[in-house]
Amino acid sequence: MISAEQLVGEELANWYSLTPMERWRESVKLWREYVAMGGSLDPEPDTQSPFFDPAAPSSRPVDGRSGLRVVRRGRV
Amino acid sequence: MGGQACVLYGAAEFSRDTDFAILASTANLSRLRVALADLKAEVIAVPPFELKYLRKGHAIHFRCHASEADGMRVDVMTKMRGVDSFAKLWHRRVTLQAEDGTSYELMSLPDLVKAKKTQRDKDWPMIRRLVEADYFRHREEPKRSRLGFWFLELRTAELLIELAAEHPKVSRKLIKQRPLLKIAGSATEIDLTEALSEEERLEREADRQYWIPLKAELEQLRRARLRSV
Repeated sequence: MISAEQLVGEELANWYSLTPMERWRESVKLWREYVAMGGSLDPEPDTQSPFFDPAAPSSRPVDGRSGLRVVRRGRV
Repeated sequence: MGGQACVLYGAAEFSRDTDFAILASTANLSRLRVALADLKAEVIAVPPFELKYLRKGHAIHFRCHASEADGMRVDVMTKMRGVDSFAKLWHRRVTLQAEDGTSYELMSLPDLVKAKKTQRDKDWPMIRRLVEADYFRHREEPKRSRLGFWFLELRTAELLIELAAEHPKVSRKLIKQRPLLKIAGSATEIDLTEALSEEERLEREADRQYWIPLKAELEQLRRARLRSV
């Protein structure tokens, strides 16, 4: 039998093994951090979505600041 | 039925909006209007919030302005390609309860997987993860209905081969519903992966075709809105 670890790696296998509510709590933590960092509440533009409208307005970042931006890039 | 449901079922997803499948009836829409008014939600794109658009298969997109949900996006749908009527979805729903007593009514996993079979790249790895998570959680004691679900929806060649080796009779019975099961018991991983890709390609094309008239209608509504501004 193939194990989850073999197939998807330890991190995702651990995520699979959590109960639904454990995953929910982890997700809420992540969400709070994201919002605290000023992350946008708009879904990423998805040009493959039938609902995609390039002219649609976007919301401001939740903290009213300019949102997350790249301040340093590593070399690829 | 969106990213939050995927997280509860086992996928690793970070979703910024909340998607709801709802019953499209006048009475239910009235209740929804009250809930959306509490959230100070405004419609932010076409189509307008009307029953006829929901019944055609459009989604209605909202942004909330109530202080506790300021900026949050909510999408509402009532009809999805290849997915049963709301009454059946509701009958098969899964209810989860959090420690604080909040109940979450989720589309059943098989229904969620069907709803995710869209033209978008991002939905397909999600389906794969959702079914894998369910398989790993329950494969030691599989129920008959679950076996059927895995045979029809697994998108991981290695696991389909494993499953077909364990339950060859069930696999053969389901070939009519999923032709690639014909080779699941004997194919190499590479062959099965190719068959899975072809299956995905056909579903995505079917979704594109399904959306052609709906997208044309959305475009008309966008143009009409621009003219009225």
